[in-house]
Amino acid sequence: MDFLAFIDFTFLLLVGFGTLVGIIFGAIPGMTATMAVAVCLPLTYALGLNHGLALLLGLYVGGISGGMVPAVLLNIPGTPSSITTTFDGYPMAQKGEGEKALRICVIASLVGGLVSALVLFLFAPLLADFSIKFSYVEKFLIILLALSVIASLSSSMLIGIFSGVIGIWLSLIGDYSISDGGNGHTRLMFDFMEPYLFEGFSLLPVLIGIFGISTILLEAEKGVKRDTAGERIKLGKEGGFSLSVFKGGLTNLTRSSFIGTFVGMLPGVGGSAASVLAYTQEKNLARDSSQMGKGAPQGLIASESANNALTGGALIPLLSLGIPGDSTTAVLIGAFTLQGIQVGPLFIPENHDTWYVMMVALVLANFVMFVLMFFAIKHIAKVVMVPKHILYPLIVMMCVVGAYAINYGIMFDVWTLLIFGVLGYLIQKIGLEVAPLIIGFILGSQAEVYFVKSLESFGTYSIFFTKSSIAMVLWALIAASVLFAIAMGFKSRARQKMELSQMHTPSNTTAGKRHDSTND
Amino acid sequence: MASDLLSVSIDFETSHLFFPHIVHWLLAGLFLLILVTKVVPFMAAVKRGERTLPIIGEARDSKRFFGTLALICAYFYLMAVVGDLFPYTGYGFLFVSMVFVLLMSLMYLHDWTKKKLIIVVINAIAAPTIAWFVLAKLFTITLP
Amino acid sequence: MLLARKTLMSVSVAGVMLGAALGSGVAMAQDAQLRGNVRVVIGSTSTGGDTYQNASIVVDRLAEHLGVNMKVDAVGASSAFRTLDRDSRGNTLMIFHDQSYLGHLYGVQGYDDIFEKYTIGPTIAINPGNAYLVPMDSPYQSLDDIIEAVGSGETVRVAIQPGGVSEIGFSALKNAIAIEHPGQEDNLVAVNTGSQSDKNQQLFDGQADVINGSVQANEQYTRLPESDQKAMRFVWLTARQETIEQAPEEGLGQTTRDQLLEYVEPNVTVTMGDDENFTFDKEFFFLYNKEMDQGIVDQIDEALTEIFDEGEVQQAQLDAFFIPDFKPSAEASEYLQEKMSRYQDIISNIN
Repeated sequence: MDFLAFIDFTFLLLVGFGTLVGIIFGAIPGMTATMAVAVCLPLTYALGLNHGLALLLGLYVGGISGGMVPAVLLNIPGTPSSITTTFDGYPMAQKGEGEKALRICVIASLVGGLVSALVLFLFAPLLADFSIKFSYVEKFLIILLALSVIASLSSSMLIGIFSGVIGIWLSLIGDYSISDGGNGHTRLMFDFMEPYLFEGFSLLPVLIGIFGISTILLEAEKGVKRDTAGERIKLGKEGGFSLSVFKGGLTNLTRSSFIGTFVGMLPGVGGSAASVLAYTQEKNLARDSSQMGKGAPQGLIASESANNALTGGALIPLLSLGIPGDSTTAVLIGAFTLQGIQVGPLFIPENHDTWYVMMVALVLANFVMFVLMFFAIKHIAKVVMVPKHILYPLIVMMCVVGAYAINYGIMFDVWTLLIFGVLGYLIQKIGLEVAPLIIGFILGSQAEVYFVKSLESFGTYSIFFTKSSIAMVLWALIAASVLFAIAMGFKSRARQKMELSQMHTPSNTTAGKRHDSTND
Repeated sequence: MASDLLSVSIDFETSHLFFPHIVHWLLAGLFLLILVTKVVPFMAAVKRGERTLPIIGEARDSKRFFGTLALICAYFYLMAVVGDLFPYTGYGFLFVSMVFVLLMSLMYLHDWTKKKLIIVVINAIAAPTIAWFVLAKLFTITLP
Repeated sequence: MLLARKTLMSVSVAGVMLGAALGSGVAMAQDAQLRGNVRVVIGSTSTGGDTYQNASIVVDRLAEHLGVNMKVDAVGASSAFRTLDRDSRGNTLMIFHDQSYLGHLYGVQGYDDIFEKYTIGPTIAINPGNAYLVPMDSPYQSLDDIIEAVGSGETVRVAIQPGGVSEIGFSALKNAIAIEHPGQEDNLVAVNTGSQSDKNQQLFDGQADVINGSVQANEQYTRLPESDQKAMRFVWLTARQETIEQAPEEGLGQTTRDQLLEYVEPNVTVTMGDDENFTFDKEFFFLYNKEMDQGIVDQIDEALTEIFDEGEVQQAQLDAFFIPDFKPSAEASEYLQEKMSRYQDIISNIN
């Protein structure tokens, strides 16, 4: 219990402060947990190791959680891992249940965070040994499994898959990076684009462009009629929230938390895959998932518990292999080296006190996040009351800040916002789907690296089936997911036929999933 | 035998084209399918006058739509230009954002009352300043 | 207090510049001094990596010494070169390491000849950690075993990241085999992969026999019990003997300097022919826009000379397991060109 000596008032204060700043960073579209940690890293030198870690872990947990706010209220994922939160969160906000949606998210986040912290504490070294059983082959299959959600995500399976493949194509633009072991050659572009697109489009500007800027374009087209978004989004008294939402969602909550922890644990597979995968599995396994994508709490639970479970998960390889599980933990390595502490397989046995201090900070940060968010929600949700003519310019401005800052100051990232804003607008107009496209974009480049590298190593396609028993399990899951999507496809086609026969032909069945409720 | 069929050898020098190649075939196949099952029936419906073409055939508030596009383009462009006059101070962002937020607010504002205009102006000055101060000064994040 | 002064200063500088810009309509006249806000871009996108650490150790002190605002931004190689290309005023500087010319030697897209296109600034530090490792239970006890094995026709796979710092040791090894066992060098096979975790993973999967790694990232793996499948052994550090000799005596983690010295020449040698042995120190140095005023080059040289004379920066570097290595601009340029030409020979020999 020696480590208790390190936990003083300053420690508690720093955890709280870190979490608060993290939430703010996460809540600003384009600002991420990674950026929050990177920006505050120099501070930790003055603070010392334990206090520094308190601050950084607070930032990490806060940053990941904060992403839910713009996802639910503005339909802009604050961080890449909150992408699936927009699928159900924004429809709920449109129905006037923004506050309720946020409360569900906060509780799911807390559970996800705590479950992963517990798993980290009890099983870190054990799981690290398990995680190194995942080679390129198994990682490719995990990505494929996450991609399989594309098929069931849209009203028309064909359109969904097509949109997803376009997303994958877009992600391949740029060089086949040598930092992934590629040959560094560029492809899918003309020579004159090379100065700008050498490294391809970066994820975050694409994400906030396609969600944020295109939403504004669609509104501008309609003349930005209503003065406040709040007339549509009634705040409601408590938004009808009660814990009963979680009834029957316990399996979902547990499953998603473990999926999040697990995906976070795999180096390189990273954040956004976690929430997508949890969402996929809820969609496949839930008794009734027909409302998912239209404002179902179960979608929020899956997404948010998984993305907060990332935190503990990503710390597992960091602390027991010396390898970061995601981009934020990659920056955390810097904090350790600044203090002259190595992370690696011997970190935990050699730095018992630091290890306990980190666990305390992590658990504490989750509770602080919960308290801060749960009671602030009522006020945060009022964002939607801000008149659009004030809100929209500010959204554009903050998107610019985020896009410019994400890669530490690259102007092309700002133009990416506009390119994908316009693209997102066109895509929705011609009836393609944004959600599968963006999931394709997020996972596409990883799919390439893992796929090509597997084949380079083994020289045969059969390796994907014969590599290991883990691969077989993953195939079974993929098959189940695809079969489910097909079954769903038939069901919805039958329903569409019925609607068609009633002479109700909404041309926006595919286009306006998120925008058709602006019925003015 | 089966393993021969599945075996593949990737030349490192051209490995950057291996996966895109597969994706291209997938895209082409899917596009054809969509052409046949969705686009052709849709165009037929357009011809019969049952449906309208997207974008071209739709009503739109052109002033605000193209105004938004033009403003955003000018905003991004001028930000870099002005920013270059004061290297790495963030003033490009600060000053151009003020103008942008003001113009965009005015464009979206339907009824210009005195009270609303005052709020718009205050917001246009205060918001970029706060963002600039907190991010560029407090957190030393590089801004244009 | 400091913040207030800085703010005040930048505001007044801005005022002056605003006046100049409005008055003449063009950017202000060149002055051969760093002024205003200076951004140091680095060739890595990681803020936890060695380039960032080295850059910030030196840049922080430089900024304090010169009284200007300086900020390190991890924009990555391609963006860093491009940002540097655009700014000749001295508001943008770059810090990178040997990758900047090795990338060019290996023909990686996006890397030009830095000696032609940029002005080479002072070197600041060495990361002595570049290493090659084998699994703990590997049949190869030393690098010589590996050379002999490959020479006798055995295939040995080495996991590296292609096109630069991680590949140069592999190339040198291949070159040495070509010299000692002509015709057998193709038995040494590169497994092209990415990050350190990918390289480790190749070793755990049995897809590689040797990996490139670093003292910093792999030291703990070398202390695992042999029963652990993750356990590794160093076989070679590419650094010069005198580089490692300057490291702190306690070494890194629980591996002392003396232990590390077992893996450099003369204990481990990789021939380059003509009685010369291959060594590689990963050195960090400044790169400037070619058009930048010589006055700024001199100013930074002078400032760094004074900073290194004080001696405090060296301690900070050593604490972070970097070896201080200051050479002023002109000297650095000559030295690095000579360094490049040696590696050029190796790479052209094996291709």
